[in-house]
Amino acid sequence: MFEKTLTDLIQGLRANKRNEAEYIQRSLSEIQREVQLSDMHQKSVAVDKINYLHMLGYDMNWANFNVVEVMASPRFGEKRSGYLAAMQSFHQDTDVLMLTTNLIRKDLASANVMEVSVALDGLAQVATHELAQDLFDDVLAVMGHTRPYIRKKALVCACRLVGRYAEGLPEFVPLLKDRLDDPDPTVVAAAVSVVCELARTDPRSYLSLAPKLYRLLTTSANNWMLIKIVKLFAWLTPIEPRLAKKLHAPLSHLVSTTTAMSLLYECINTAVAGDIIDVQLPATDSVGREIDFAELCARKLEQFYESRDHNLRYVGLVTLAQLQARRPELVAAHYNTVMRCLDDPDMSIRMRAIEAISGMATRKTLVATVKRLMSQLVLSNTVALQPDSRAELNVESEMSDLPLINAAGASLVSAQGTIVPPKSDNTSDVADNPEYRLAAIDAIINMCSRQSYANMTDFEWYVATLADLVYIAGVDVGQRLSERLLDVTVRVRQVRAFSIKMARRLLSDSCLVDRATSDGTNSPVLATSAYIMGEYCALQPSSAEDIGLLLPPRLCKLSDEQQAVFVQAAMKVYANWLKDVSGYWNPEIWELVRSVTSSTQHTLSSIFMGVSTCAALPLQVASRLRMFAEILKTVSMATSNMGDTAPPVCAELQSLFSAYELNPVSAAAQGKVPVPEDLDLDTYIGEPIPDTMHKVMPPPSPPAPRRQSSAKDPFILPSVDDIPMVALQLDTPVHAHKPRKSKKKSRRKPKPRSPSPPPAPVDIADDEDIVSK
Amino acid sequence: MIRFILVQNRQGKTRLEKWYTSYSDSERQKLKASVHRTVASRDQKHQSNFVEFHNHRIVYRRYAGLFFCFCIDTNDNELSLLEAIHLFVEVLDAYHGNVCELDLVFNFYWVYGVLDEMFLAGEIQETSRRVVLSRMDELGALE
Repeated sequence: MFEKTLTDLIQGLRANKRNEAEYIQRSLSEIQREVQLSDMHQKSVAVDKINYLHMLGYDMNWANFNVVEVMASPRFGEKRSGYLAAMQSFHQDTDVLMLTTNLIRKDLASANVMEVSVALDGLAQVATHELAQDLFDDVLAVMGHTRPYIRKKALVCACRLVGRYAEGLPEFVPLLKDRLDDPDPTVVAAAVSVVCELARTDPRSYLSLAPKLYRLLTTSANNWMLIKIVKLFAWLTPIEPRLAKKLHAPLSHLVSTTTAMSLLYECINTAVAGDIIDVQLPATDSVGREIDFAELCARKLEQFYESRDHNLRYVGLVTLAQLQARRPELVAAHYNTVMRCLDDPDMSIRMRAIEAISGMATRKTLVATVKRLMSQLVLSNTVALQPDSRAELNVESEMSDLPLINAAGASLVSAQGTIVPPKSDNTSDVADNPEYRLAAIDAIINMCSRQSYANMTDFEWYVATLADLVYIAGVDVGQRLSERLLDVTVRVRQVRAFSIKMARRLLSDSCLVDRATSDGTNSPVLATSAYIMGEYCALQPSSAEDIGLLLPPRLCKLSDEQQAVFVQAAMKVYANWLKDVSGYWNPEIWELVRSVTSSTQHTLSSIFMGVSTCAALPLQVASRLRMFAEILKTVSMATSNMGDTAPPVCAELQSLFSAYELNPVSAAAQGKVPVPEDLDLDTYIGEPIPDTMHKVMPPPSPPAPRRQSSAKDPFILPSVDDIPMVALQLDTPVHAHKPRKSKKKSRRKPKPRSPSPPPAPVDIADDEDIVSK
Repeated sequence: MIRFILVQNRQGKTRLEKWYTSYSDSERQKLKASVHRTVASRDQKHQSNFVEFHNHRIVYRRYAGLFFCFCIDTNDNELSLLEAIHLFVEVLDAYHGNVCELDLVFNFYWVYGVLDEMFLAGEIQETSRRVVLSRMDELGALE
């Protein structure tokens, strides 16, 4: 039979590009036949072919047993094919793995170095818990092999096995520590890697290795190993602060002298993460001058993110963000550089830059930073809403030079109602990414509201920014924005009037309201705007149009809570308006009041009518609507006749809603309320119901103290409460107790049947002893 | 720790894959597709070689039509991995003499051999080119 070799298969595949699937099906059936043959060579070729097809996506589980057969072949080439196929396709739950245990054991003990190595490779890849357990000792034995090549592999393999079989760790660690002293440098490097990996989860146990590692750090020139050692020290230093001082000298030496960027990066990273920069000893820089170590790190970092290589910029920014968290003053000077990185076409760099920038915000820089971020969000606005009722979605208008936010700091969007994107370069693709937009908006919010608005100088600008974000966000951050809006309005009195203006603007934007039903249009903001308008309506002279705003025709399409908020706010505004208006009462005002009242009643009834078309009104909305209708009825009755002065109801209505001001409440406030002294939560309010009494009532006292007291006091019987307590006369003669003994015995007989807590038998035994004396 | 290694061409076909963490077959397929999507759309001139991927990082390098992607944990040193990729490709080149994608396709089991020499269980194991090449010669002699 002409069997195809692997090369033939691949060539055939490439020749049959058009009918690839059929060709593969044909080959698969041939392979199925070949793999059953007894000739090991052909079997291994078949396994190779299967392996190749597996890489293309074809399942090879049906051949698992054949793979194991090939693994057992005495010839090395075939054995290797088998192991490779196993490594590629075996999973944790492949059942034939059980068959491989002895096979691998034999290979590990083989005299042929190559067999040992391939077995180690294979084992490291496919080890399950059982395999790891069975073969652990064999691998540990191999760690003492004469060839350093094998020792190194065994080390790393054992590390892998420990991941599957954690009980082996205590045996493994002393051997690992010995390997650090191995004469061969590759083995030492492997040992360091393994220690690094293990110490990630449990640094404390490897602290004792610190002296050895320190010696390696100072003596070795192998950069790969040095990187690992430095990283390892970054994890050890937080738990052993004295290490920081010791490490300062070699690290600063490395930082000033090394030319390898990767090592430099790792050293700076460790210095920042391990707080080594806080050590007050000076270091020498490349010129030989003494300089603060932190300064040195910052300067070297500059090299990173001012380089043209994007990789260096990325890692530089990562470290910068970390350095910034610890030593903000060092980083503040690099503000401009980081701002430039915000425009980088690479999204990962931008995300890092946002992180760094939001940490760097101060009073002076806050506005500029936010402006920059917002302009990025505006540029690629394919999903933004126009604040006017123009329903265009695409901002393809002509690019002009107007900045988004003018010099006065007021937002252009809210002032003029248009978005004019500044001149852009090719940043549109990155800013389109929703993840990026979310991150940018989060950063803006964070920067502004950090530490209770420590950085804010102009709150009106902040509110305007929040309103703009509703339009240009492009992602669904409605919840966040509305929370922020509410937060700033409640906390900062001075800005409330401005907030109402903003709220009115948002609500009067019919485009926004109409869209409010679909997700992603930040509709919670509308509810918050309604709330603000209602709550603080006393600050602004309200007009009758506001009431109309708050009862839009599409009200029933909003979500339940939002509808309730709208209706409530409408009530408040109406009451407030009524009070204002009743201040100067004259016939025109009377007409106005009557017309507004009747039109509002009309709107309400249309909402009720419209119930059949949209879903049934939710309960809280219905109840509020009813209340509103009643109020309106009252007012219309009171104003049915034109009087000289306003009917009192008009002025009094507003007091329904303005009893006291709502302040923000801290989350821990409830805990601080003192419990009133006469509060007794245990007594029943009424008569306890007899049947349930025994089930409901807890045992009168807890068992532990009872055990003590009952040890002293033999009178207490713990189980059933209606047994009378009889005083035992211990010094009277025994016979006088006999009738009682039988009575007690007869009472005690039922006791084992009823569930008695543990002290009871002890008591009974004691009493019995005393009594039967 | 390296989570997995993928070598893919520009059309998304995987030429080499090595998984150091356990994923099911369907997860593997999904991962391969999403790695390809992430890496192939990046612009070499303006973007770095590191990409955030789920909650790990991918360090990748493009050589002619092949992307060599290594997925690592976030606290690993990316620059050293970049060097390791280059070392790997250099070893392949030295052994084969001007290695191209076709060589990888036809001799894939041998490429895995080199890979296993240099990376084991998710860690960089051997960084000396000379040592790896001598090992490969030994292995070749045995076959």
